[in-house]
Amino acid sequence: MEIKDKKEVKEDTDSRVYELGYLLVPSISPEDVPVNYGNIKELVSSLGGEIISDEIPRSITLAYSMIKVISNIRNKFTTAYFGWVKFIVDTQKVLELKKKLDLDPSIIRFLILKTVKENTIASKRFIRGDMLHRRPLVKKTEIEVSVPINKEELDKEIDALIEA
Amino acid sequence: MKQDYFSANNIKYIDYKDVEILKKFINPSGKIMNHKRTGVTAKNQRALATAIKHARFLGLLPFVVK
Repeated sequence: MEIKDKKEVKEDTDSRVYELGYLLVPSISPEDVPVNYGNIKELVSSLGGEIISDEIPRSITLAYSMIKVISNIRNKFTTAYFGWVKFIVDTQKVLELKKKLDLDPSIIRFLILKTVKENTIASKRFIRGDMLHRRPLVKKTEIEVSVPINKEELDKEIDALIEA
Repeated sequence: MKQDYFSANNIKYIDYKDVEILKKFINPSGKIMNHKRTGVTAKNQRALATAIKHARFLGLLPFVVK
């Protein structure tokens, strides 16, 4: 019985959280993008993947032009649809997924990474926090500068202190 | 940036899709900044470098700005 339990535990640890980021060919019309997006999600779940989170591919301008040979024609791309899926899958199945994605003509490039279950995008939350952090520093310096030194009042105060 | 940006903002996992954050750590020509300039801990600097490289591969960040 103990051996069986150990095996079960091993099977659990064999599955990991992965993320698949991909770039779709811009020649796809915007209406057909959800179809391709659905196909990728289907492919992941057909390999026993459990999808955690994802984002619908959106059109982006690439930082540099990319080249992909599709049916012996060299294509140059400057825009693409960028999307990603986060899923839990067996470590053995990831290679299979990679091989299948390699053959997909609608994908320019893709990247499979090990990641964590939690939401990892932080930019929207923290840019504002950074701004708030900077403001009090500016105010402090303004207050210090704006206080004028009245010499007569100071002298009076000093005199009063000496007399006391 | 004296303090570690990521621990100050409670970011535990540096994501390659967070282009706005990653852009803070590349110089005008697109190179990854030195850890002395970024003030990020060694561990986070390594994670940051990999995240930038992944973003570059998917065309989210440039390799070089001419």
